[in-house]
Amino acid sequence: MALDLGMPILVVDDYQTMVRIIRNLLKQLGFEEVDDASDGTAALARLKNRKYGLVISDWNMEPMTGYELLRHVRADEALRTTPFIMVTAESKTENVIAAKKAGVNNYIVKPFNAATLKSKIEAVCGA
Amino acid sequence: MGLANVTRNTGPAPAKGPAPANPTPANTTPAKPSLIRELVEIADYIAHVRNEIAALRANELTRDRLPMAHEELGSVVTATAGATNSIMTAAEEILGLPSDKNYRAAVEARMNDIFEACTFQDITGQRISKVAEALRQLESRLTRFATAVNARDAGGIDPAEVERRMRAELLILNGPQLKGPATAQDEIDALFA
Repeated sequence: MALDLGMPILVVDDYQTMVRIIRNLLKQLGFEEVDDASDGTAALARLKNRKYGLVISDWNMEPMTGYELLRHVRADEALRTTPFIMVTAESKTENVIAAKKAGVNNYIVKPFNAATLKSKIEAVCGA
Repeated sequence: MGLANVTRNTGPAPAKGPAPANPTPANTTPAKPSLIRELVEIADYIAHVRNEIAALRANELTRDRLPMAHEELGSVVTATAGATNSIMTAAEEILGLPSDKNYRAAVEARMNDIFEACTFQDITGQRISKVAEALRQLESRLTRFATAVNARDAGGIDPAEVERRMRAELLILNGPQLKGPATAQDEIDALFA
């Protein structure tokens, strides 16, 4: 299955430079429909108003973390199947396992490169 | 340091003068030698603590060094944000350049912008060194003071710190590891294979 380059993607990170980096990488991969949010609460508000093909989220944010966002998404009937990739500096095994148990589709540790992001999107969204 | 161990350093003892005009009445109990010794030790200890507090040079720390550290770190944040913005803008412009005969010259101009932006590291390195030195001084003085007065931390923890720790534990907020990722991307990939 080819990647749907027209699918909207939501990038959630409180660090605007990282949002800009991911947005540029996604643009290079051909994705043009990219929205962003600065924490889980803002992301949930966006998710209620638009159907996204993928969420790419940081973990450590205030007030709502990416981990909490993931659990909210998986607990919401309308959102539970939304692909979710965690991109974070939280690299302890307990974090990865907790995210996996909570239903994350893939996990990228920072710093990362374009090839890693591309391969995870392909793995999650089907290529 | 216990009271019995301190050295008296409050200066010379009061000079022995003539007998007071109103001598102690015959029916008043004279102070016991042990009580006087205790009072002298307390006075010595207070003088010792005062000396150690003076050695802290707390006014210098709060007036000069800590505000300096605050300002330097603020400058580092501003400089790194500015450099990142310049580098990213140049990179975005390169990605958007048309493939025409001017392409190489346009790329070279943006590359020079990137090199220029990277000069921030020299200055921020010096700023961070100054802050590190101020923190080293602070640590050294506090350690000396805590040792000198045998200071122990008060029982209990600041409620805000308790709340922060509980949140970090509940939400598994470990933060970045000092020497790179604790788990390599390959190992994480294996968990998702």
